[in-house]
Amino acid sequence: MNRKLTFSIFRYNPQETGSSPGMREFRLEETENLNLFVALNLIRETQDPSLQFDFCCRAGICGACAMVINGRPRLACRTKTAELPEKIVLMPLPGFRLVGDLSVDTGAWFRSMNERLRSWIHTDENFDPDAPEVVMDNQVAEEIYELDRCIECGCCIGACATAQMRSDFMGAAAMNRIARFMLDPRDKRTNREFFEIVGTDQGIFGCMGLLGCHDVCPKNLPLQDQLAHVRRKMGRQALKNILPWYKN
Amino acid sequence: MQYQVAFPTASGSRAALLDLVQMLLGLALVVFMYLHALFVASILLGPQVFNALADFFERYYLAQVGGPLLALVFLTHFFMAARRIPFSQQDQKKVWTSTRMLAHRDTWLWTVQVVTAMFILIMGAIHIWVVLTDLPITADKSAARIQTGFWLGFYLLLLPMVEMHVGAGWYRLGIKWGVIKSSARNKAKRAEYYITGFFILLGLITLARFMFVSVS
Ligand code: HEM
Ligand code: SF4
Ligand code: SF4
Ligand code: FES
Repeated sequence: MNRKLTFSIFRYNPQETGSSPGMREFRLEETENLNLFVALNLIRETQDPSLQFDFCCRAGICGACAMVINGRPRLACRTKTAELPEKIVLMPLPGFRLVGDLSVDTGAWFRSMNERLRSWIHTDENFDPDAPEVVMDNQVAEEIYELDRCIECGCCIGACATAQMRSDFMGAAAMNRIARFMLDPRDKRTNREFFEIVGTDQGIFGCMGLLGCHDVCPKNLPLQDQLAHVRRKMGRQALKNILPWYKN
Repeated sequence: MQYQVAFPTASGSRAALLDLVQMLLGLALVVFMYLHALFVASILLGPQVFNALADFFERYYLAQVGGPLLALVFLTHFFMAARRIPFSQQDQKKVWTSTRMLAHRDTWLWTVQVVTAMFILIMGAIHIWVVLTDLPITADKSAARIQTGFWLGFYLLLLPMVEMHVGAGWYRLGIKWGVIKSSARNKAKRAEYYITGFFILLGLITLARFMFVSVS
């Protein structure tokens, strides 16, 4: 006997006059290996064509489908209904601009965040297209790659009480991103320059260490250790900034 | 339509230094609270031991100087932590909604810290005031206070509040500064529960013992 699933889904279209936020219920019979990506598409096809939600890769790569599933920010495409009880509550990810229903604009947030962090390699070396490529130490490359796995899904921001309270808090994804540039030998920024960017209450010192981020990250990024690493580094830099005998 | 999120540039040094000071004060308070619990528990070895210890602290002015110093640290800690406490109703609602939605243990831990903090702020201040304005500390005076009944209830409430706050406090400090790595997180959490339980139990036994000190 297949389970009869009840989906309670947040509905609200800010573009539409007269639309008011509320939950709507949909019923669907569970099939084998059903995941929320398929379930939501079925609901849209057979029950309500106006339902809004985002998907792209359906393989946990693009980060578009993050939503709050029974209270937890997760990727819908990587969530099987078999892991969930019969009643499934879906809410849009908090902390981002609501596009409609389950769809939120994480793109604008991440773009602004990356601009604020100046998320690119800062170097004053002239690029010589004829020179042989400089080989990066393999271990460093792997460490950078580990942090670069972030898919900008926004789950860590949705799960962070600090980010919910303070919209200018950049959150764990940002600290993980800056940690990646701190590791990169090609990035010539000094710790003092990094400090200017994240040594603030908008950055690492706003973090209260509640680890919602770490516990929900669908890519299992080492957020706890990265946050602590950035905090120690920036804490040390704060001391150096006030000690006159340190130039850098 | 271009949509932007505001991440204003902010100056760091102040935030960073406040965070460093907050860490140091927090650490000092944790050490103090655990030592305090052990010293008060010396009553279990007899009123003479308790009195000798109190006497020692006063002879070397540790109580007279340390007491007010502690009160200062206590208040400073409050002002620093207040930066994080959601005072506006709107913020409280956001945190509360987010905490309930997430059903996440470490996020709850922080709620526990904020709530216990309010009790500690008021009750801790009263306790420090009463003890420091009635020096010297003796087993006799303390027992007389506790045996009134009112103070017993007072301490029965303050004790678990302080221990929960302190336990969550050092755990979170360890997480924030990376002393507790993610691989050791569960072990640290368990240690926190055991240590907090131990100190609550010790406190209860200590209070019980005070009820049976014969007051001359
Ligand atoms: C005046 C009463 C108190 C208030 C209002 C208060 C408030 C707070 C708050 C709101 C936090 C969380 C701060 C944050 O998340 O950044 C906190 C953390 C902490 N508290 Fe208290 N507290 C009080 C007394 C105490 C006492 C008596 C102790 C120790 C004996 C203590 C030890 C700690 C520690 C170790 C932390 C963690 C430090 C940190 O997160 O930086 N507190 N306190
Ligand atoms: S750190 Fe994890 S949770 Fe946060 S955006 Fe990146 S992949 Fe998503
Ligand atoms: S550890 Fe920091 S970034 Fe992560 S959820 Fe907590 S406050 Fe937010
Ligand atoms: S659709 Fe791309 S991560 Fe889910």
